[in-house]
Amino acid sequence: MCWGLSQVFALFWEFSMQSIILFGVLVSTYLMVIAKRTPALIRSFRYQSFCLFLATVIIALREHELDLYVVAGLLFILKVVFIPQLLYRTIKKIKASEELGLFINPQLSLLWALGFTYLSWVFAVYLIGAHDAVQVIMLAIAFFVVLAGIFLMIFRMTALAQIIGLLVMENGIFLLASMVSGGMPFFVEIAIFFDVFVSVLIMGFFVYKINKFFTHIDVNKLSRLKG
Amino acid sequence: MIYFILGIPLLLAIACLLVKKQRLLGILNAIGYLAVLFLSAILLKQIALSGVTRLFLGFICLDTLSAFFIFVIAVVVFASALYSIGYIKKDIEKGIISEKKARIYYLLFNLFCCSMFFVPSVNNLGMLWVAIEMTTLISAFLVGFYNKKESVEAAWKYIIICSVGIIFALLGTILFSYAFSISGLSKSLNWSDMVPVAHILDKNILKIAFIFILVGYGTKAGLAPMHTWLPDAHSQAVAPISALLSGVLLKTAIYAILRFGIIIIKGVGFAYFAHLMILLGVISLIVSSGFILVQKDLKRLLAYSSIEHIGIISIGFGLGTPLACAGALLHVFNHAVTKSFMFFGAGNIVSFYRKHNMNAIKGVIKALPFTGIMMLLGVFALTGFPPFSIFISEMMIIVAAFTKGSYLVAAILLLFLAVIFGAFINHFGKMLFGNLPKGMTKTSEPLTGKLAFLFLGLLICITAVALVFIKGEWIWIVQKLFLV
Repeated sequence: MCWGLSQVFALFWEFSMQSIILFGVLVSTYLMVIAKRTPALIRSFRYQSFCLFLATVIIALREHELDLYVVAGLLFILKVVFIPQLLYRTIKKIKASEELGLFINPQLSLLWALGFTYLSWVFAVYLIGAHDAVQVIMLAIAFFVVLAGIFLMIFRMTALAQIIGLLVMENGIFLLASMVSGGMPFFVEIAIFFDVFVSVLIMGFFVYKINKFFTHIDVNKLSRLKG
Repeated sequence: MIYFILGIPLLLAIACLLVKKQRLLGILNAIGYLAVLFLSAILLKQIALSGVTRLFLGFICLDTLSAFFIFVIAVVVFASALYSIGYIKKDIEKGIISEKKARIYYLLFNLFCCSMFFVPSVNNLGMLWVAIEMTTLISAFLVGFYNKKESVEAAWKYIIICSVGIIFALLGTILFSYAFSISGLSKSLNWSDMVPVAHILDKNILKIAFIFILVGYGTKAGLAPMHTWLPDAHSQAVAPISALLSGVLLKTAIYAILRFGIIIIKGVGFAYFAHLMILLGVISLIVSSGFILVQKDLKRLLAYSSIEHIGIISIGFGLGTPLACAGALLHVFNHAVTKSFMFFGAGNIVSFYRKHNMNAIKGVIKALPFTGIMMLLGVFALTGFPPFSIFISEMMIIVAAFTKGSYLVAAILLLFLAVIFGAFINHFGKMLFGNLPKGMTKTSEPLTGKLAFLFLGLLICITAVALVFIKGEWIWIVQKLFLV
């Protein structure tokens, strides 16, 4: 009996917490894939980012690194509070329709998402082998989130959905980085955050412009340049 | 030295906020980038002699490859700054943009250049990613600068496609760092730390990571089939910016691919790298030649030609013999110089005729004698006609392909180069000669624009002549670079 009960409990708590959070990421991504309207999409994005924030905090608690707390804080401010707020405001201001414009209806999208989940699982097993179950799950979910982001970018018509798709891909990569390689170097992490922040601002600016010149934000109808 | 090269664009950007007169700003810009050009030439010489140099706590790390790319960027940026003076002045006179917008232009121009200079200087592969993404974000404004429907659409496509592409590159970068961290070494993303230990990294992960890198930075480099943003963005941007985009922005992405490629060659073996590069190169060549044949828009024609040349560069690196690498590296320089030269000419033509459509453009030599003659020379230079520099670098790559025994690659190269040559001569022959459309008269051209032409034109000719004499040294330098 080298392990006390409390230690076992702590270990169990940590692992189950991690799986619950990962499960949260998975569910919020599924919600995004089947969302029909932009506000729902943004709300699910917020849930997903919040799960990522929790995951980072847990890793920070385990490793006791100040850097990780800063990263978690930035994540919360940017992706849970600021960016969703900005997107909500953009919808209100441009007064465009809240419909996402689906190329593929929610039921079929769900099937695609299931396929993606399986694919990313296979890929994760191929990459690191099946011996480490927790890592494989993390990797699989990270890849799934990236794939779901691509899916949103391709099969949703509005410019706003494309921005969110990009952010979702970003989240997936953040998950991959924080879980698999123990995070990027600190200053790179900060630089990437700054980068995401700037890119959302700039894309938001262009959404305004598209709305101004075309009176809609349906990127499917942007087809003046050809050949 | 490198601090000045990175600092001068930033100082010039600050100057844009303080100086009110745009003409003064333009001249300041040109002087500043002339200084950068000299500094980068000195830097290149220093680094080539002294080898790898680390500065600023290892944050900046320079070897001959980075110094060479910095030099290429400096050349094109200087020419573009020079050309901007006259071009922006003309736009203001015609009332297309306001005086205030011209200042914004110079501000963005400087920030854009600064971010491009950062790409080859940084040591950390994560920072490399950030620098390349910054170039996208800043230049998106310059693509959408004219605030028309087309330019906003082009800017949107540009920013979305490149951001997605580059996210794949980030994924690849993380996998590289993962491969590094599971090998039991300390956590690091510096290429100077990765290259020496590349052979003990996990081969499977490296292979997959490199595919992500190639898709990601390949999007930015304009390799087909990820090139779709390129013709839109290049054709809608302000002319001096088109030159920068095509001349050096694509090359910074090539630089990033090479940095990872060097790790891959040591870690996985040369054949893997070679096959992927040659495959993408050949696809780019084939796709672009088709679009060049049927093209109607002048600036899109030049944009597709950029895809073609990026394809040739990629084939050159894929062949991988010292001669081929030397040719490819030289082609990076030659294409940067020649393509900016052509975009300046296209800018003059478009601003005179106010049309991009080549069917509506006739008699350029009569309307703009200087530009017309320069363009005539430029077409031959760009399609690889003997006295000019591109001929030499293309020749080096083709000869390397034959001596290596890759006859199929050599045959494809020759065939499509011939097709593209014919298409270009046809398109430009119709445009340059013939009579002027009614109601248009001959106009004079600004002096600074002419200077930019002469500067680049001289470089095109000098490189060709100089190479005849220093070919041996050049190949030796490249050999030192890649076969470490």
